[in-house]
Amino acid sequence: MLYTNYLISAWRNIFKHPLFSAINIFGLAIGLTSCILIALFVRDEISYDSFWQKAENIYRTHITFSVPGRDPMYIAMAPGPIMHALKRDYPQVEYATRISIQEPTIIVDNQYFVDFITLADPEFTEIFELNVISGDVSQALNSTSSIILNETLAQKYFGQGNAVGQTLTIDFDIFKKDYVVAAVIEDMRKNSMVQAEAIIAIDEPAWIDQPYMFDAWFSTNSQLFFTVPSGTSIDSLANTLPDFVNRNFPKLPFGGEDIKTSDMISMEFMNIQDLHLNGNSDGEYHETGNKNTVIVFATVAALILFIAAINFMNLSTARASSRAKEVSLRKVMGASRKDLIIQFLGESILLTLMGMLIALTLVELALPVYNDALGKELGINYGSNDLLYIFGLATIVGILGGAYPAFILSHFRPAETLKANKSAETKASVKLRYALVILQFSVSIALFVSTAVVYGQMLYAKNKDLGYNKENVLAVKEIYRDVVLEKLDLLVDEIERMPGAIAVSWSNFMPGNSNNNNTIVHTEGQSTEDGILLGSRTIGYNYFSTYEIPLIAGRDYVRGRDRAVMTDDLRAGNFYTGSLVVNESALGRLNLGTAEEAIGKVVYVGAGQPEENLTATYEIIGVVPDIHFDSLKLTIRPEIYDLEPEYGSVLSARFNGDPNVFVEQVKQLWEQQIPSIPFDYDFITDAVAKQYNAEQGQANMFAAFSGLAILIACLGLYGLASFTADRRTKEIGIRKVMGASVFDVVKLLVWQFSKPVLIANLIAWPVSYYAMSIWLENFVYRIEAFFIIGFCLIAGIAALLIAWGTVASNSMRVASANPVKALRYE
Amino acid sequence: MLKLQDLTKAYRTDEVETVALNNVNIEIEHGEFVAIMGPSGCGKSTLLNIVGMLDTPTSGHYFFNGEDVAGYSESQLGVIRKQHIGFIFQSFNLIDELSVFENIELALLYHDIPASERKERVAAVMDKVGIAHRAKHMPSQLSGGQQQRVAVARAVVGNQSMILADEPTGNLDTAHGQEVMEMLQKLNEEGTTIVMVTHSPSHADYARRTINLLDGHVVTESMRA
Repeated sequence: MLYTNYLISAWRNIFKHPLFSAINIFGLAIGLTSCILIALFVRDEISYDSFWQKAENIYRTHITFSVPGRDPMYIAMAPGPIMHALKRDYPQVEYATRISIQEPTIIVDNQYFVDFITLADPEFTEIFELNVISGDVSQALNSTSSIILNETLAQKYFGQGNAVGQTLTIDFDIFKKDYVVAAVIEDMRKNSMVQAEAIIAIDEPAWIDQPYMFDAWFSTNSQLFFTVPSGTSIDSLANTLPDFVNRNFPKLPFGGEDIKTSDMISMEFMNIQDLHLNGNSDGEYHETGNKNTVIVFATVAALILFIAAINFMNLSTARASSRAKEVSLRKVMGASRKDLIIQFLGESILLTLMGMLIALTLVELALPVYNDALGKELGINYGSNDLLYIFGLATIVGILGGAYPAFILSHFRPAETLKANKSAETKASVKLRYALVILQFSVSIALFVSTAVVYGQMLYAKNKDLGYNKENVLAVKEIYRDVVLEKLDLLVDEIERMPGAIAVSWSNFMPGNSNNNNTIVHTEGQSTEDGILLGSRTIGYNYFSTYEIPLIAGRDYVRGRDRAVMTDDLRAGNFYTGSLVVNESALGRLNLGTAEEAIGKVVYVGAGQPEENLTATYEIIGVVPDIHFDSLKLTIRPEIYDLEPEYGSVLSARFNGDPNVFVEQVKQLWEQQIPSIPFDYDFITDAVAKQYNAEQGQANMFAAFSGLAILIACLGLYGLASFTADRRTKEIGIRKVMGASVFDVVKLLVWQFSKPVLIANLIAWPVSYYAMSIWLENFVYRIEAFFIIGFCLIAGIAALLIAWGTVASNSMRVASANPVKALRYE
Repeated sequence: MLKLQDLTKAYRTDEVETVALNNVNIEIEHGEFVAIMGPSGCGKSTLLNIVGMLDTPTSGHYFFNGEDVAGYSESQLGVIRKQHIGFIFQSFNLIDELSVFENIELALLYHDIPASERKERVAAVMDKVGIAHRAKHMPSQLSGGQQQRVAVARAVVGNQSMILADEPTGNLDTAHGQEVMEMLQKLNEEGTTIVMVTHSPSHADYARRTINLLDGHVVTESMRA
């Protein structure tokens, strides 16, 4: 019966003070909503690849090339032959598979598709369990003419019927072959760095003319996964890797006689569960996460909940005096302090649970937008322990937020409160409340500053001068296929003649996507051994004019005047001098003097596979500035731009006028000339912006949660302001009788809340300045640290204005009230 | 000094209209000491609030120094009020968080008076009411009589020509009550107009004129010889 009484008392208290209850419940609801949403994100991020049965024992091999004078090249792939060496040298290695993802043309019943096909070794199915819908996966990869399809692709190619046993053709350009569907599997889980829609076996003989795929030691074109038995010490295995590298890799073709391969090439094993958050390197097939982002968001979640809990504490203690009489009476009737603490804790838990119910609704409403922004499929699994966790969280918040108020409330002495009916609040609890408001605003201001810095950095990166004009360039993709390359000249000519076309060229890379091709270059008088590893890209004629890149010296490649050195000619013993354009950094690395001095000098560039020992001779005809073709996260490499008249992967066309009209013309031409390949294009502006998709989503998420934190803090401030205004009614009445105007009174009340905000600035500024300058160090090209000071000032002023706005309406109400009412009763 | 003509004040709730003052006609001259008496709920406080310009009448006229202020807005009233009228309450109404000095100074803060002059005037008025030695004390540290003396000091520090006192002795024992009444009398002798609501006939005797109210009407007016 006592508990019924508690419940009745709690219930009536909630409805007797609707403003306080609403602020508490909604503040908590918003706090819990943010917390749940962030928790779902964090859980997803840390859950990557933990579901594999052998997760603890699956590792991936990474390679780092450390070339003097260059940033280390950290690659999530491994050279193809390593797998065989690994299995031979380490008996501990149980199963191993390479994974290479290609994008060939798939032909089903004369219909053409372009999809991702995973090439893997037979042991793939031993390492990764696949959920088979029909057919048999166990033997599928032992045959070089079988294919495993996931449900989505099976339906795409063969409709609703059973795909097993059906045939499709895959055209890799290198070779074209029929495959029989051996099995259909469920689509793989999203929270995995191993994604395979269609799997075929690696058929090494079929790729023999492309040694870089699976057979070259200095090329990395596939990822390498392997398992070890449980209990194997991977560290002791990893310790022997330098020896493994020296034993298996061929001698480095540059760097001199004394150099050991392990000086420049190192290997590393990483557990599959760590890949998503720690991978973050070149050669990933799927987007990686970022450990720091996860930590930051987890912190933000905790801070938001903390702010909501502070509201709860502040409003409860502020209101405590109004419940002093109830407490005293209960004590007179025999309640012990413990009884009262239980009662008040119960009330706060009840409030939190009400907040939780609203939070669950808000979460469900927010999830579609949230998932869209993050590119994930998050959700609460109501059937699992999720609900238990969520209600556990609510209870903990209720206890944390309610403990102090319960302690304060239960403390009242009946004699004092009943007799004098005085305000029972102690100075200490007023001070604590003040301190907590300062803390809330410190957190809010710090979040505001952080958001501004994150956004500022992103805008800076997006708008940084990349060294080329990314506007109004159409990039036509998929041109590396033989059917397209055959018609490259025709396409270029036709597009150049189109109305609106300004210039057309092609390249083996897409600006904004990273490229890790490298080649050894040496100058006259040097031996190959002394050569330097430079980045290498291939481009077509007029590339620099198409991208409006001004040359420092010399000129762009011109059709009919410049000659490319073809590797096959070298192999045939046919030697001649080609033309070459290099960037400024390369000039420095090669010690060729100024740009003007470099024109006309001869350099020698490694060609073909390193083992072939082929060298092409070039005369430098142009020098360009350092250009940000890669992500801004990387420093610009010293690079050479090799002319490649017959090959490219992206065709670039600069145009003016309506982009849609231009695209439509190019599309018509493409469909007319190359009907077998779907037309695929992008605008360079979009392609560059896509690099920042993840950052953009996370920045938006960060901004949204910071905004919510500030909103919750303001809710609390509003509640406190209305409470204080009520409590100061008498004082305000007296002041008004003494002649204070409404404005005087508003000023008085608003100032009362400006002080904590100003103090909060003093705390938040140094903290956020320190934290954000560390964060900015992650970027090679970043905004200046003094911008943070500007953001601090803006945040401070914004916080003050927000606080004023929050407090002013209440103050106006109280200030305009007739003082007689305030003074009539004591 | 002030003249109430056919003054009516009605309070309206959703359904009921309560007439607190009904056609009241009163005239008070400069330098008068008037006591207002009557049972609880007769409209004494309402009358005092309207005279003090804390409230406005429903109808009728209120001439203050010849000016009809009945239709004035709150801020217009505020300007007149802070120049001419001081208040003393039964429950003292001092601000708990301010010291004696600061409480008295409050009445000058809204008058554009320089700090040095404020200090002098507060010091002078504290001497006059005999609480100079308590300047730094907080209200809670004073006896009721002392608190009311602070309130009196506050009411006159701005050189107000009229003091409205709402049962100034209601919360005080006889000795302290006597003290406050003598102080008011002294102020009256120095020329301050005093209008006082009281339940105590003996305190009403300090006034030269007593107005008796009943149910919102002036019943009798009696002059002391």
